[in-house]
Amino acid sequence: MVLEFFELCGLRPVEIRRGVWQVQADDVLMKELDGWRAGARLLQFTFDSRLAAAYGADLISQGSYRLNTILNLIRRQGILSRAHIPHHLFHEPSIRRRILSSVQAGERAYVLTSSTLYGQYFQLELLAEAKGLQKKESLHTLVVNLSSGDILKFPFPSHLLQAGGVPAELVSRRRCSLKEAYLQAAAHIAQLFAEQDQSWAEEALAKIAQEEAKLKAFFQGKTNSSDYAAKRQELEHRLQPVLTIQAVRGALLFTPLFRYRLVVVGTDGRERTKAVSYDPIANLCLLD
Amino acid sequence: MLPFFFPSAGSRSKKDAPTVLENYPCQHFQVQVLADGFRRIVGELRSRRFDTWDWYQLARRADELAAQQNRAPGLLALDHLKERWERTGVVPYEHQIRTAEKVVHQLHGQAILADEVGLGKTIEAGLILKEYMLRGWAKKVLILTPANLVWQWYQELYEKFGIAAGIQRTQWDWEFADVLIASVDTAKREPHCSIISSIVYDLLIVDEAHKLKNSATASYRLVNSIQKKYCLMLTATPVQNDLRELYNLIGLLKPGQLGSFHSFKKRFMADKRTPKNPTELRQLLDEVMIRNRRQDGQISLPERVVHPLIVALQPQEQAIYERVTEFVKARGRRLGGSNMLPLITLQREVCSSFLATALTLEKMMAGLPQPELEEAAALLKDLAEVKQNSKCDALERLVSQFQDKAIIFTEYKASQEYIRYRLERAGYKTLAFDGSLSRGKKQWVRHLFQKEAQFLVSTESGGEGLNFQFCNLVVNFDLPWNPMRLEQRIGRVHRLGQTRDVHIYNLITKGTVEEHIMYLLHQKINMFESIIGELDAILLHLNLATSFESEIMKIFLENDEAAKIQEQLDHLAQRILQSRAAIRASSWEGLL
Repeated sequence: MVLEFFELCGLRPVEIRRGVWQVQADDVLMKELDGWRAGARLLQFTFDSRLAAAYGADLISQGSYRLNTILNLIRRQGILSRAHIPHHLFHEPSIRRRILSSVQAGERAYVLTSSTLYGQYFQLELLAEAKGLQKKESLHTLVVNLSSGDILKFPFPSHLLQAGGVPAELVSRRRCSLKEAYLQAAAHIAQLFAEQDQSWAEEALAKIAQEEAKLKAFFQGKTNSSDYAAKRQELEHRLQPVLTIQAVRGALLFTPLFRYRLVVVGTDGRERTKAVSYDPIANLCLLD
Repeated sequence: MLPFFFPSAGSRSKKDAPTVLENYPCQHFQVQVLADGFRRIVGELRSRRFDTWDWYQLARRADELAAQQNRAPGLLALDHLKERWERTGVVPYEHQIRTAEKVVHQLHGQAILADEVGLGKTIEAGLILKEYMLRGWAKKVLILTPANLVWQWYQELYEKFGIAAGIQRTQWDWEFADVLIASVDTAKREPHCSIISSIVYDLLIVDEAHKLKNSATASYRLVNSIQKKYCLMLTATPVQNDLRELYNLIGLLKPGQLGSFHSFKKRFMADKRTPKNPTELRQLLDEVMIRNRRQDGQISLPERVVHPLIVALQPQEQAIYERVTEFVKARGRRLGGSNMLPLITLQREVCSSFLATALTLEKMMAGLPQPELEEAAALLKDLAEVKQNSKCDALERLVSQFQDKAIIFTEYKASQEYIRYRLERAGYKTLAFDGSLSRGKKQWVRHLFQKEAQFLVSTESGGEGLNFQFCNLVVNFDLPWNPMRLEQRIGRVHRLGQTRDVHIYNLITKGTVEEHIMYLLHQKINMFESIIGELDAILLHLNLATSFESEIMKIFLENDEAAKIQEQLDHLAQRILQSRAAIRASSWEGLL
């Protein structure tokens, strides 16, 4: 990850001796890593604590200062990105066949026109913090279909993604706003927590009750005083079980959308036109 | 190169508190959907700033790694600080780590750290603060300390924990600094007090918390009014005279932990000094207080080796000493015990240097009546004629044997300058350290002493607030009469972090009051070696009507013969030892 970081910064670390790397970090990078006082310098780093001591190189290991500065810098990047899956990864004739065969028994369908567009998915990385007597944090990656507002129940085929966006005119309009998608994703996480073991919350509530009893004893039942209210609020602030959910970063994922205008001949011989969009990711046929 | 860097989060005031987009109950807990991160994403989208997919992927992996680090049990801060501590020579003690772990994982960030003096309460508090910051549990932090410790806190947090705290200077600082160190005396005054009360702090640290033992004081009311999530109180003496002090202190931290005062008195107080139901009380105290003691055996400091050096005065010096003493006694008897401070100073100075004595005498002359004025003038003239300084000669001989750095303590600026003059003349590099130096200069002098000079000549006021564990030789050019001040001097070098035995050289002028002081402190109460860390409690327990210095001066004025003085000092020593025994045996010491 560290070597990748430098490469993304346009720098090429050189292994000057076995296990010790060196890179010329410029002023901007050093200031971002070490604060405004730092300046450009030859940065030496190693992953081995013995080499770090022997050569005075910055140690990169669990909890080390240099790893943390790099991690913090990386985490401030990549707030929003975009990627797409090209159409050619899907076999269009098979999709067409599938669309044509989806009509009701006895009906026949012909493709009048076809076009390829892109549908939108919103990938959100969410940090959930369950705060009770202790705080436990977990990261969740959820993908929301912006056409339907549904959360993808299966892993998104990330291996098909290619970096970058697509021309705006090829993107179908989304029906679900980003905010709705975020709230939907947050609700999904909350539901996950609700289905799991809730002892963390129960313990915190029991502790609040216990502390509140002590507080009442201290104030000798005068629970309408402002002092009591302030201390009660402090108690809640400290112990109330809360699940906070926040978005850490997001990405717009553009996925192929195959759109067909069909002529469907009914069993009675009458013709009607029908527009169908096929989303191979969600495997959905949508009537426009 | 990086396309751009997202600006790092700077200081956060209350107004910048996270915005909640949705807040709803879900079974046993409350769900809060925060807006900030999402808004940042939308902001990026609106300004069409897309990071590359590679950066995005890397950032996700970094998030995973960071989350994984945060999930680790124990203290994250230990890993984070490992390199820094190796560089700065900090060796955390087992009891400090244990204390920090207990506060973080068991006491939920609310504790009184009541270790005995010199066991590193500041390190424990710093470790807890760092842990809370690393885990993202504390952003807005306030540290309240006595004014003379503000700079020391700043220094310790920066050097040992890499925490760049702010020092409160203006009323704007309260809101805009994330981690702020402030003096309690400033904080309790308006408008500061109102501003502080309107801010919600994640963590409040109060140093020297025993000053909050009285619930009627402004300091107590201030700390009580501060809205805080977590709170640490640091004190070596949670109880001094009365169990109510302990009750007040705990009430501040966790109101109700000991019930109402009425019930506390009924359940736990036999009288104001004697607790009842100690087992039950100890259990309750264990939930909020941690006290590490030297005698627990886990903490060992290097030895203190005392070297008393008796200096014989030359006849001319001895004669002047006798005349000054005579003058002090005559004036003291005339004043009948009031306004004794200048006389005490004069009597002490004459054992240090005649230069210091002359300066004080000159100042005193302004208020003297005619016959005494003439006597003082004659004395002043004779003082100016003394060219000999046997004590400084002895000092020169002593330091010529030193291979290492030493701190030379004196009480007086004039003596300090004279010592420096003599040592510089003898070819030594010296530095002056005193209370007139600014904080920055004190640090700079400390740095120079560590790197370059061999001797630091320090006055008493300069001795407080800075630590010199890299040095293990202390020379007391003159002896302060108050043992507490002597302990503070030695405490600069004899504390956690000191790895070598500390050698204390006391220069005692023969046939002077200094000999009596040494007799009391060294021979009778063995202050240098055996009552470390208990002195403040002992002095409080002694309950003297006046100061310790005045008590000695009284003995000195009332008795002319050495044997009589010794007898009186024996009596005082007896009282001190009794106090120590009483404190050691006191029921609340056992309780804590």
